[in-house]
Amino acid sequence: MQRFFYLHLRAASQALRTLLQQPLSSLLGLAMLGLAVALPVCLYLLVSSAQQWSQGLTVKPEITVFMELNAERTDVVVVDEHLRQHKLIADYEFISREQALKVLLEKQNLQDIGQALGGNPLPDAFIIRPKELTPEQMEQLAVELSHLPLVENTQFDAGWARKLAQILAVLQHFTLVLGASLAVTLLLVTHNMIRMQILAHRDAIEVSKLIGAPNPFIRRPFLYLAVWQGGIAAALGWGLAQAFIATLNPLIADFAALYHSQAELHSLNLEESALLVVSIIGLSCLTAAWTCTRLLRKLEPR
Amino acid sequence: MTSAPSPNPMIQFSEVSKVYPGGIEALNQLTFQIDKGEMVFLAGHSGAGKSTLLKLIAGIERANRGTVTVNGQNLSKMHPTELAYLRQHIGLIFQDHKILFDRTVHENVLLPLEIIGFDRREAAKRVRAALDKVGLLNKEKMNPVRLSGGEQQRLCIARAVVHRPAILLADEPTGNLDRAYAQDIMELFKSFHQVGVTIVISAHDEILMREYGQRTIRLSQGKLG
Repeated sequence: MQRFFYLHLRAASQALRTLLQQPLSSLLGLAMLGLAVALPVCLYLLVSSAQQWSQGLTVKPEITVFMELNAERTDVVVVDEHLRQHKLIADYEFISREQALKVLLEKQNLQDIGQALGGNPLPDAFIIRPKELTPEQMEQLAVELSHLPLVENTQFDAGWARKLAQILAVLQHFTLVLGASLAVTLLLVTHNMIRMQILAHRDAIEVSKLIGAPNPFIRRPFLYLAVWQGGIAAALGWGLAQAFIATLNPLIADFAALYHSQAELHSLNLEESALLVVSIIGLSCLTAAWTCTRLLRKLEPR
Repeated sequence: MTSAPSPNPMIQFSEVSKVYPGGIEALNQLTFQIDKGEMVFLAGHSGAGKSTLLKLIAGIERANRGTVTVNGQNLSKMHPTELAYLRQHIGLIFQDHKILFDRTVHENVLLPLEIIGFDRREAAKRVRAALDKVGLLNKEKMNPVRLSGGEQQRLCIARAVVHRPAILLADEPTGNLDRAYAQDIMELFKSFHQVGVTIVISAHDEILMREYGQRTIRLSQGKLG
């Protein structure tokens, strides 16, 4: 067991030495990978912060049902009865046209104009709060209610929230695509780095194999090289994302203050940070293992 | 010359044939054995199959027909990883030395011990002892490129014996050396033989072989001569 740990410790330090022996090229490669990590992480943080913010903003969605101007009290009663029995409606409120006009004139201080109108141009209306529904179900309900007798039209008040949710969903999808691109970039860079290292140490590998080195022994330093590279790239990416958040947050706070709101980008939490580091190291390691297996097969002793 | 069956074989060839891609027949139906602790010369002209025979013993090449047994293990049935572990018990001395010129003399000799996983301090002690044995201790920090041909051969021997292998295989170890250097090298082999190491040396210097009076296996066009 002691020998096992000794061999791993030696391979890990040997791999770190390899990185440090060429500081400039290692730094450039790692910086490139760090940026590749930082891009999707920043986008992920933007999207998830915006999602959290929009969830706070979105009040319970409402559908407003406007009656036709010539609708009688009996027509209102029919709609009221329908709404009371509807399974998807949590509760609703009736606002008569007189009540609506009164509120409008009071709120906007338009009493004079009200007198000039000579009549009430506003319709009777129902404000409906549905049960928990998806945006699609909400839309279907609004269409269904618009077909009730003497209903002029319906208005889906949370439409803008749905649009925002759709924009965020698109951005979320884009983040995934960018993340996948990062994975491919990481794969290609790691593959190329390990391939170059194996070719640079070709003589040592052949001699080692001749004098009894099994493939796991030869592979081990290259795997640790991938671990170091993946770990440092993940740490760099994390750091860049933190710097991005720190730079952007004051600007976002100022912008949100204009709308009497509070908003900020949140950082990666501990679980997210651990997932980032582990997945990048894991991906680098798997790529290195595949590259080693493929190339070492070609370097059998002769 | 072949030996009679012995109850104490280290290396056994039984009707072994080796054909390289392209149909080049290197060995044809070879049957012989080498005992534990024996020192044997392999003699024959260039292309007679001496290097191939050594590669078969080390598990670097595999026989197309027949069985090669080393220390009771049938090499044809072994996995490449098992063959690698087997080679950790064999010291190999190559005709072209196979020295790593990006490492010091010390680091070259250290390599087999690193592969086996020796403790750093114990390994350093062994490397210095092996270099002392071949007379290169004062050059351990040097780059091997600065060593003469004879010194490079001795470095190769130090690397082959540093892990105290049970078998030592040497492919033309004195091929490029003048007689004085060759005798130095042979004296080293003799000293390893005296401590019980099984040694197989391929050579073509008849005078040298007669001088050391050991059993000689002669090869001619892949067959026992």
